[in-house]
Amino acid sequence: MLDKNFIGSLLDEALSTGGDFAEIYVEDTESNALTMLGGTVYKASAGRDYGVGVRIFDGYNAIYAYTCGSDKEEIAKIVKKAAQALKKDGRIQRAELKEDIIDNIHIIQIPPHKIEKSKKVQLMTAAHKAAKSVDSLISQVSINYSDSKKHILVANSDGRFVEDDRTYVRMHISAVASKGNEMQTGVDGPGAHCGFEFFESLDVEEYARKAARTAVTMIHANYCPGGRMPVVLANGFGGVIFHEACGHGLEATSVAKGNSVFAGKVGQKVANEKVTAIDDGTIPNAWGSTNIDDEGTPTQKRILIENGILKGNMIDLLNARRMNAKSTGSGRRQNFRYAPTSRMSNTYIAPGSDTFDEIIAGTEYGLYAAKMGGGSVNPSTGEFNFSVAEGYMIRNGKIAEPVRGATLIGKGNEVIQRIDMVGSDLAFGQGVCGSLSGNVPTNVGQPVIRVSEMIVGGRDGAQNG
Amino acid sequence: MLRMAKKDLMEKIFDKGREYGLKDMEIYLGKGSSFRVRIHKGEIDNYSVSSTEGLSLRGEYNGQMGYAHTSKLDESSVEMLARNAKENAEVLTNEDKEVIFEGSPEYKLKDTYSEKLDRVTEKEKIEFAKEMEAKAYAFDKRIESVPYCYYGDSSGETLIKNTKGLELFSKNNMAYCIVNVVASDGNDKKSGTAYRCSGDFYTFNAEEIAREACENAIPLLGGKSVKSGSYPVLMDREAVIDLFSACSDIFNAELVQKGLSLLKGKLGEAIASEKISFIDDPFIDMAAGYRAFDDEGVACRYKKIVDKGVLTTYFHNLKTALTDGTETTGNAYRASYSSSISIAPTNFYIENGDTDVAEMLNRMGTGIMITEIEGLHAGLNTVSGDFSLSARGFYIKNGKKERPVEQITVSGNYLTLLKDVAAVGNDFKFGMPDGGGYKGAPSLLIEKLSVAGE
Repeated sequence: MLDKNFIGSLLDEALSTGGDFAEIYVEDTESNALTMLGGTVYKASAGRDYGVGVRIFDGYNAIYAYTCGSDKEEIAKIVKKAAQALKKDGRIQRAELKEDIIDNIHIIQIPPHKIEKSKKVQLMTAAHKAAKSVDSLISQVSINYSDSKKHILVANSDGRFVEDDRTYVRMHISAVASKGNEMQTGVDGPGAHCGFEFFESLDVEEYARKAARTAVTMIHANYCPGGRMPVVLANGFGGVIFHEACGHGLEATSVAKGNSVFAGKVGQKVANEKVTAIDDGTIPNAWGSTNIDDEGTPTQKRILIENGILKGNMIDLLNARRMNAKSTGSGRRQNFRYAPTSRMSNTYIAPGSDTFDEIIAGTEYGLYAAKMGGGSVNPSTGEFNFSVAEGYMIRNGKIAEPVRGATLIGKGNEVIQRIDMVGSDLAFGQGVCGSLSGNVPTNVGQPVIRVSEMIVGGRDGAQNG
Repeated sequence: MLRMAKKDLMEKIFDKGREYGLKDMEIYLGKGSSFRVRIHKGEIDNYSVSSTEGLSLRGEYNGQMGYAHTSKLDESSVEMLARNAKENAEVLTNEDKEVIFEGSPEYKLKDTYSEKLDRVTEKEKIEFAKEMEAKAYAFDKRIESVPYCYYGDSSGETLIKNTKGLELFSKNNMAYCIVNVVASDGNDKKSGTAYRCSGDFYTFNAEEIAREACENAIPLLGGKSVKSGSYPVLMDREAVIDLFSACSDIFNAELVQKGLSLLKGKLGEAIASEKISFIDDPFIDMAAGYRAFDDEGVACRYKKIVDKGVLTTYFHNLKTALTDGTETTGNAYRASYSSSISIAPTNFYIENGDTDVAEMLNRMGTGIMITEIEGLHAGLNTVSGDFSLSARGFYIKNGKKERPVEQITVSGNYLTLLKDVAAVGNDFKFGMPDGGGYKGAPSLLIEKLSVAGE
């Protein structure tokens, strides 16, 4: 990494044109990726990504510049270029850089880069075989293994000087079932902010079988009927509904400028009283956790909604100014190519008191979304959509036939008011969330929940209740 | 062009590779710089500049191709690149053979870099972006906010150099702008977006772009859902471009060979209405729209992928062509220097038709006009072709827009949709370039799609 004196001189240069805050971000990431397709190791790559980003604030406005590599001349040049965007008088005195040693709560026992590639391949082969063994209709299995080690340094004109290491491992499994001209897929992708020991306690084969079973179930399924109906969303990755429907609208990125349906509503009832939602970046070794955010602020456990009342937002340093608030340690970025902004970490609906059986039994007719796909939202209007990867009809209070091709759409502020039952079986699922500051690892989570009414996108002509 | 130091570094990497036992090797070097401003309420809310470069080494070892990449272009990376390329090759059990290419007999090289764009001052760019935002607010009092308003430009250089003597260089640049507005009538909010992309900054008209964004939002205010059912659908060109782009992978020979495309075994068959032709044209005279060679160094060429409904070829690179016993179509692609060789279209589009949109609406009579679809990354399964997407647009009665429509989903299968095309619009346009190039389409009249709503 770069030395403190050099970074101090960069901060001085950055502040030389009248900026009132400056930050230097240095990143060095080593990554490995393996792809297995049809049981053969199809692709293997490895690389190193090194770069520096400089950010300057001028009130509510920000300047960002970045460059690759560690050539000091090149770095100094880009910092100068950034500073030249401002032409103001006056110059603030920056605080002296004080090295902060963080208390690492994400212990890495086995650094993945120390594990032979052949051992990683063994794990993939086991997953491949497990998926294939589920059914003869499984026609293709693709498995992606990835690990990375990211070292970051953040220094700013408030005197912060802090470094952090993040190690990630993930295995993504996709199984395809084919019958005649049709194909259906099932996916799963367990991952963690953890070393290779993650796979010691993880039943990779069971994840592979689950993905394959989804594909096989869906190839036999008819299309989902469309229309308004109650929807029960299973625990774990079902939490993507909160992530899309509300989470993005609670990020300062959209709240600070009033571009969110949830802007200005702290203290108001925005959800059903059964809903308590939390963003927690401190869960040890969780996929969305970090010791500090990418602005050097320690991460927090933060209640977003408590018993239906909006309590808070996820805030980064720049938007904190606009909101006259403090950063919540939510400033994240994919890498040095992006300026950080407020993002979710591990975001979930807290457990309630209903049980899965009660929820299903209490639903006369509706859709049970056993596995969710991804989704997206427009925070300005609250309109969201996401897909159901494995769905079943609920008839007479019982889970009935599987259905494919369902999509759920709605408006975030409406749907959280309609969450009328919340189970107790909280679980998490791993996702990669894409937004202004790139793709970042995030956990979504929830216990099983019911939404009293949603528009389910399905197909005309599907068998209807 | 490249400094001598870079040439020395590349030779050192090849030397180190040889030490590690790598045979044929290739370096792919990508270099880029960018500028972007975002305006919020008349101020530069965000200003960003960058200069980046990185390189990737691929090398053959025991018949397999190993990759390694770095953004740290100095001596400290030489050893790491050679070692990683070898180690990665060792672990592969691939049966398809990837090769390093010695070069095509000829290339249609053309300098499309716009020097003119380099001469536009920062002040002009910033003033333009500010004007775009101001024009949006001024357009109508229902414009409540402008969540994003950007101007940006970027330039890039690519160098491919291999041990078989091939050395190719290209350079391009482009400017773009995008504005997104939210209109509100007090009860309902709708957003609208407009964008432009060009090598000539002076073709951007702030007022026209702002107006387009506002006109995409305001008429949708007060939209309601419709009764679930099967409807004829007029898909506006922007929605067609989105769906067409998201489905372009089904033509990827690698996915076909691996059983991950619904077009497997369909070469020579009718896969779409005879009114439809799909073109891949690498030689379009638009910013960043010209490609003389692909990312393996193969000369690019113009081809029809679907000719009057019939599938004539898949997109190939050298590896998939070898596996299929055919010739590469010059569609080898790397998303960036750090990606391995895959396949992508260059500029890929649905050929323009001859029917006016008004005429298509008339022909449809009663149905739905879809102006926007959302949720493509989740609601579309590119392996099965099935989609179920959130949509907005208008309810059409007797060929006229009767009212806006929201909170509906349209569902179907991509290939069924292509077969159900009843008319092709004459309103062709290109979208924003992504990956290998531009995607374009006219509006399409679809006989029927399943719509879910009330």
